Amino acid sequence: MGEVIVITSGKGGVGKTTTTANLGTGFALLGKKVVLVDADIGLRNLDVVMGLENRIVYDLVDVVEGNCRLKQALIRDKRYETLYLLPAAQTRDKNAVNPEQMKQLCSELAQDFDIVIIDCPAGIEQGFKNAIAGASQAIIVTTPEVSAVRDADRIIGLLESEGKHNPKLIINRIRPNMVKKGDMMDIDDIIEILAIDLLGIIPDDDYIIISTNRGEPAVANPVSTASTAYKNIVRRLTGENVPLMKIEANNGFFNRLKKVFNF
Amino acid sequence: MRQYVIFKGSRNGLQLVLDDSADFAVILENLKAKLESAVVFFTNGTIVEVPAKVRVLTTQQQEDLAKLLAIYGLIFRETAQQQEVTTTTNVETEELQTLFVDKTIRSGQEVVYNGSVVINGDVNPGAEVIAGGDIIIKGTCRGVVHAGAYGNIEATITANRLLASQIRIANLIARAPDNLDQPEYTEMARIQDGNVIIETVDI
Repeated sequence: MGEVIVITSGKGGVGKTTTTANLGTGFALLGKKVVLVDADIGLRNLDVVMGLENRIVYDLVDVVEGNCRLKQALIRDKRYETLYLLPAAQTRDKNAVNPEQMKQLCSELAQDFDIVIIDCPAGIEQGFKNAIAGASQAIIVTTPEVSAVRDADRIIGLLESEGKHNPKLIINRIRPNMVKKGDMMDIDDIIEILAIDLLGIIPDDDYIIISTNRGEPAVANPVSTASTAYKNIVRRLTGENVPLMKIEANNGFFNRLKKVFNF
Repeated sequence: MRQYVIFKGSRNGLQLVLDDSADFAVILENLKAKLESAVVFFTNGTIVEVPAKVRVLTTQQQEDLAKLLAIYGLIFRETAQQQEVTTTTNVETEELQTLFVDKTIRSGQEVVYNGSVVINGDVNPGAEVIAGGDIIIKGTCRGVVHAGAYGNIEATITANRLLASQIRIANLIARAPDNLDQPEYTEMARIQDGNVIIETVDI
């Protein structure tokens, strides 16, 4: 039986979809059999970020309603053989599926795959309830902003009341220069409020925008700092003990050079 | 189907015990099925109370509950309101029990209790703690706290780190200054001469 992980945040635009794509690709790089499930019915994005938009024939709602078999709706990634995507429907809304059906779907997927990653929609309504229904583990993505942290806190509370304890935290889009100057929320401040285990921090990286627009997850890029951070998170999720990345301002020429040569 | 809703007999009528973990919508459905299955059993005008100890309800949820019960001729009464009448003197306040909560209260969560409340954890921003008596927080308080909510002006609020966005005692409201210093000591808020004051205490 594989593991079912939901990526959630409450607030929109903090990087759930990017995180889903990169963690999924990261697991695939390690040779794991992975399926990414887009639970954002009506506002699907994950297929675009993965660059698989033009291959969609059937979607999640088709599977749930019995219009096709599960295998028919799964799209194999064009780069990694063990990576699959189950896209969301775009012409329907969140009410097209209920939590019971999602549970059933997740347990079916978990039989065939090592890892099932669910991309949760923003908000706390039906879509959120659907997305978390079948998950055995939750990863919360937040950014160092008070609004995102507040929403993350709410989500942790809601997960608790659904009986899903010990979610893990990813802090996305840290800007080393601003943290250094004290202009950005500190990692310690966020941990103090949310009081959950930190899975990793992702530095703000222009390459994420480039790779998202190209439809190829950044994690495969060896130079990007965000890519290294995602790889570290994947290794931590597989049980390895990887120290937190040092977030330092690298604006000097020597630092840039260091980054390129990776020492 | 799991039983999320249990009816218990009490001195004043019926007590409704709601499961702590279940979704509110599920509870409503469960309750409806239960009422439907025993229409004759419930006499018109029976008062139904929900003890605040097990499950804390928001105002909207209370309204929904009241509406549903009204269809079957039952009257919903908040336990808190009933206590309001009885807790006029301090002696009786002391007799009220204390609710111990062993977790962090997160944004959107609410603790409402007639007696005193002791929180063994933090109260995060966006969370609310409302107590008829005192509030003691053994952690950091960043949310909204209301002690003596039913008019007890003797009530106090104590926290290891009192950084509450708003402190309410009885009918007084104090807002945190816009640039709040990080307190290093346990502090207590109480009413003195019609003002909310905050002082350092030793515990």
